[in-house]
Amino acid sequence: MTENPEQENQTTPQSEEEIRIGVYTCYCGGNISDVVSCERVAKQMRDMPNVVISRTDMAMCSDGGQALIENDIKEKGVNRVVVGACAPSLHEKTFRGTVTRAGLNPYLYYHVGLREQDSWVHHSDHYAATEKAVRLMSTGLAKARLLQDLDSILLNAEKHALVIGGGIAGLRSALDIARRGLRVTLIEKSPFLGGRTAQLESVFPVNTAARDTLHPIIEAVMAHPNIDIFTQAEMISAAGYVGDYQVQIQQQSRGVSDDMAEATMEACKQEVPDEFNYGLTTRKVIYHAYPGCYPASPAVDWENYDGEPLVVKGQPTVLYNELKTFDLTVGAIVVATGFNPYEPRQGEYGYGEIPEVVTLPQLIRHLALFGDGKKLEWNGHPVRDVALVHCVGSREIDGIHEPHEDGQVNDYCSRVCCTANLHMAAELREHYPEVNVFNLYEDIRTYGRGHETYYHESLEKMVRFLRFHGDDRPEVVAAPKGDTHPVLVKVRDHLTWGEELEVPVDLVVLAVGFMPRDVGDLVEKLKISRGTDRFLAEVHPKLRPVETAVPGVILAGTAQGPMNIQETVAAASAAAAKVAALLASGEVELEPFVAKIDLEKCDGTGACVEVCEYEDAIALETFTVDGRQVQRAVVTPANCSGCGNCVSACPNRAVDVQGWTLAQYEAMVDAITLDIPELMEVEA
Amino acid sequence: MTNSPEKKPKILILATLSGGYAGANAVGQLHSDYPVNTYVLPVMCPSMFPPEFYLRSFEQGIDGIIVMYSGTDSPFKGGPERTAQLVNQTYPLMKDHGIDTRRLKLAAICTVCTKPFIKEVNQMDELLGGIGFAKDEFKAVAADAHPVA
Repeated sequence: MTENPEQENQTTPQSEEEIRIGVYTCYCGGNISDVVSCERVAKQMRDMPNVVISRTDMAMCSDGGQALIENDIKEKGVNRVVVGACAPSLHEKTFRGTVTRAGLNPYLYYHVGLREQDSWVHHSDHYAATEKAVRLMSTGLAKARLLQDLDSILLNAEKHALVIGGGIAGLRSALDIARRGLRVTLIEKSPFLGGRTAQLESVFPVNTAARDTLHPIIEAVMAHPNIDIFTQAEMISAAGYVGDYQVQIQQQSRGVSDDMAEATMEACKQEVPDEFNYGLTTRKVIYHAYPGCYPASPAVDWENYDGEPLVVKGQPTVLYNELKTFDLTVGAIVVATGFNPYEPRQGEYGYGEIPEVVTLPQLIRHLALFGDGKKLEWNGHPVRDVALVHCVGSREIDGIHEPHEDGQVNDYCSRVCCTANLHMAAELREHYPEVNVFNLYEDIRTYGRGHETYYHESLEKMVRFLRFHGDDRPEVVAAPKGDTHPVLVKVRDHLTWGEELEVPVDLVVLAVGFMPRDVGDLVEKLKISRGTDRFLAEVHPKLRPVETAVPGVILAGTAQGPMNIQETVAAASAAAAKVAALLASGEVELEPFVAKIDLEKCDGTGACVEVCEYEDAIALETFTVDGRQVQRAVVTPANCSGCGNCVSACPNRAVDVQGWTLAQYEAMVDAITLDIPELMEVEA
Repeated sequence: MTNSPEKKPKILILATLSGGYAGANAVGQLHSDYPVNTYVLPVMCPSMFPPEFYLRSFEQGIDGIIVMYSGTDSPFKGGPERTAQLVNQTYPLMKDHGIDTRRLKLAAICTVCTKPFIKEVNQMDELLGGIGFAKDEFKAVAADAHPVA
């Protein structure tokens, strides 16, 4: 029982201070001012109630622009600030920092999006766009008049991160986080660590063996005392918030003990296509990913194991998948779920129909398994001429290329395949100089440091380049029987002014792009977003490049989009730095946008409690008021999400979400519907 | 510059930060055009708005409202269901006030739903172009005549 209802959750008495608003309309370097007359907006704002200063600037976010605001707060007594600029997701935090530096509470700031929601979408009618800008700024003023000081919510943060994915991004993130003194749990869906990097051989830009880069990281991760690794494991549920996520992990059993591993593998006869070699070979259902893989113990492929008993050392043995489920509390989650290489459709460039059409990842595995550096063969036949085709499954054009199952085309550039393809071309010429290499490309995008070297090297090694247009891609057909080569590549070559060529080859290699993994389940559990390309989306590509919109959920590597190994590792380290910055202090700061009760209006109906979906977020407590015991609602801010279910339920309007009150919305609606003076009467 | 101060019906869009508001920004990033008589207000979750809020907005001069919530992408437990419930509770009240119920629409818009965003805005704009201003329909009804649950 609380004796004094004034102690907590009461609404702060309305301040008696004079509301003095500073209004700033940003040109955004022309992005806004090319369409909206910012000077007219600023002039109109000057006449609005409570406005003490209205300014414009070429870039409010610049040091000079921010200084204007700081000076006005200090010198003109501005105590509310409204900036009309780009989207709030870009610079709201910037300006909150600005007003804080000048001594104002950060929540006495309001950001109006004039660029994405006005100038960029109403190019054709400058007058109407300007009038809209005035109205939008007026909504900002309306809200600003009702803003009050708010304090962030400080919560204890669990100094423990969950890393989802055991490829090079997850490994790098885990190691970097652990080295900052935080605990890490790394889970990997497959039985082995290493991800896609383990499937590569020589990698650009330094031609080192991929595993020479990968294995030292794996060894460091496995040896680090702060890291727990669970393979064949998945996150099956997640709840909570930054600093305090409760997640549930489910792990499959490895299926065979180390002492019986070899005998059990020997006894196993069931074989399936080996995904590590992209189906070029088969493997047993009790297997190692590759010689020297981590962990060294073999694992059972439960998805394909037929359940039949094995005869191990004369004893019939049935393997059981004993699922283990456990709970974890972590402060942050790193999503490093990687990518899939694009799998061409049946018949696309002859793939799946002509045996001599393969993908670049398949050729890499083929050379790793069978390449002797003396004679290049495919299906037992010597290879004399090879065609390498760029942009397969990338840079597709809506309306020209066939959409994928989800109705979309891959209109993005996969970035990595140009250099990978040229690397392969140069390697083929170096190791198999008798093989002619034809490189069919749309554009060459060797953008990274040292990548262009592969283009020059390919030219020097007499790789022949043929250039096609994106809407007129090469055609691959089986050659007529008795022809000198099994495959014909037909291409309109724009290096020879559109000459139509037929190139007879023994092997066609498709440089396939990156595809987002199917992580819909994870997206739903973590409430994170995907971009239009279906890869996981960051909040902002430049300002917050590894953070998702969900606080404490961070992206690492190719789950976010096509990246080479260098970029993946850099992104993974960035993700780790972000996690460390969040959790290292043991406290996280949450926005104060939670429910707040006006105890003078609350009469304890309990309607708010009934509609609340969050445990212990709002409850009725007994208070003593004037010697009488009464029920009143009380909010526990740490458990409140700020959804506002309670706001709409309260018959007395006794509850509001701080910073997003119903009264503020009503005032903003009034500002939209308000009659304003004719804009043309305002001089520029 | 076109000088066209012709009064047009106003569309209020209540857009969730985790969905429609980001979707509106994505439309801006594509530089796609849509009717100018639209005003997008960011909301955490529209489950905070009681039916009276919508009625009041119509009464004040808003002619169409699109509640762009996050649907199954919502980070708020029960928020989408509560929002749908509240919007459904609003329709009979709108009828009682003589307001065409098509003026209020609930639409699930995600952060990258650029085409659905434009489609919803265009459809509402087209509708309002046909049926005109809400104020012309609005009938005053005693505030306590239709208590809202």
